Amino acid sequence: MTRPLITAYNWAPDEGRGLVRDMRVRWALEEVGQPYGVRHLNWGEQKEPAHRARNPFGQVPAYEEDGLVLFESGAIVLHIAEKGPGLFPEDEAGRARAIEWMFAALNTVEPVVWDLVMAKVIEGDKDWAKARLPGVETRLRERLDELSARLGGAEWLDGGFSAGDLLMVQVLRNLSRSGIMDAYPNLTLYVARGEARLAFTRALDALRAGLTGKPPAGWPR
Amino acid sequence: MSKPVITAFDWVPWFARGLVRDLRVRWALEEVGQDYDVRYLPQGSQKALPHRALQPFGQVPTYERAGLTLFESGAIVQHIAETHDGLMPAEAGGRARAIEWMYAALNTVEPPIMDYAIATLFEAEEPWSAPRLPSIMARIAERLDELARRLGESEWLDGSFSAGDLLMIAVLRQLKGTPLSTAHDNLAGYVARGEARPAFQRALAAQLAAFTGSPPSGYEFLDKPPQDQGERQ
Repeated sequence: MTRPLITAYNWAPDEGRGLVRDMRVRWALEEVGQPYGVRHLNWGEQKEPAHRARNPFGQVPAYEEDGLVLFESGAIVLHIAEKGPGLFPEDEAGRARAIEWMFAALNTVEPVVWDLVMAKVIEGDKDWAKARLPGVETRLRERLDELSARLGGAEWLDGGFSAGDLLMVQVLRNLSRSGIMDAYPNLTLYVARGEARLAFTRALDALRAGLTGKPPAGWPR
Repeated sequence: MSKPVITAFDWVPWFARGLVRDLRVRWALEEVGQDYDVRYLPQGSQKALPHRALQPFGQVPTYERAGLTLFESGAIVQHIAETHDGLMPAEAGGRARAIEWMYAALNTVEPPIMDYAIATLFEAEEPWSAPRLPSIMARIAERLDELARRLGESEWLDGSFSAGDLLMIAVLRQLKGTPLSTAHDNLAGYVARGEARPAFQRALAAQLAAFTGSPPSGYEFLDKPPQDQGERQ
């Protein structure tokens, strides 16, 4: 197999914290030991026709391998996990539960996490933003309470580290500056365990090394 | 092997009927011709044991079969698609692309639609909902434009009907009755093709027929739309 090629930005507004979604794919590739190439996009280029052909929603990452073109970081992580070993358990039931946690990360936990990011960063200057925030935080805390209760004292969500943990840790990393995680010591340690993995470090270093571009005109807004 | 058992509610507010997520699982099971049983939960019991042990987030559906217990409708649909014929191409590339559309439905298209439901149903009376609505609608419209452009004149998103179409149509159905649902003729036709499938019809009828329970105390006003209660809009 030729090396897969992923797309990433050469500049992003997260200050190199590795919150852009190519981080999920880089981390997965590092976990399974698969070398990869990167096609870097200038900020804005993701909405151009050449990239839209790879990803109709004009986002990163896309993934190209031997004529297969994929978008959606969750689907790409799953595709990589199947090349394994390292991201899915061997047994069918364990694999189904790892996939369950992938969807839980992206369809149950991420929407409420993203809602907080939206409320604080993107809508933070609106005159109603402050009044709305408690409801957003309540919805988020409900999910974090539930996740924390399920994780308990375990190291990972279901046995060994899996693609489900990878996506959940990446989703929770968006909260690292919010202070909201302080109420959840077991989730804080869970994220720290993820970030301490060598594959995570290698992925983040590679992501940062690719940030050689300039912010768009007018940044910061 | 024994029949799978899923969980569903015996009552939901009027606006959620036909949209609760067990529909996605019922539809997948009907597409592959797999009989199933349903354990019905009274509203409220999903947040307590024993259901919490099956579903840490206190939601429906769950799926139990031969010792395997799963939650998350996307993961359950994927499991059904992988253990039966009919919802995923056999060829590896086609299979990966069907899964890509499953994630696109649940992680790219559905989140702004959930936001719309919060602003128009759950927080409709809050002072911030009206001023937020235009930006929520714009985010959904952007996604729908992109999806409509990719679908073009095709019948389904990538070749034959797949689990990706099933989830995308289930997500888009949540926009029914809003101006966003008629913005693109090709998407309206796509949703209608999905809903015309006999498997969808059977799944929908089964969900609707099961709402025989009573609303929890204090939620009687959500049993019928406001106009049916003789109230002014």
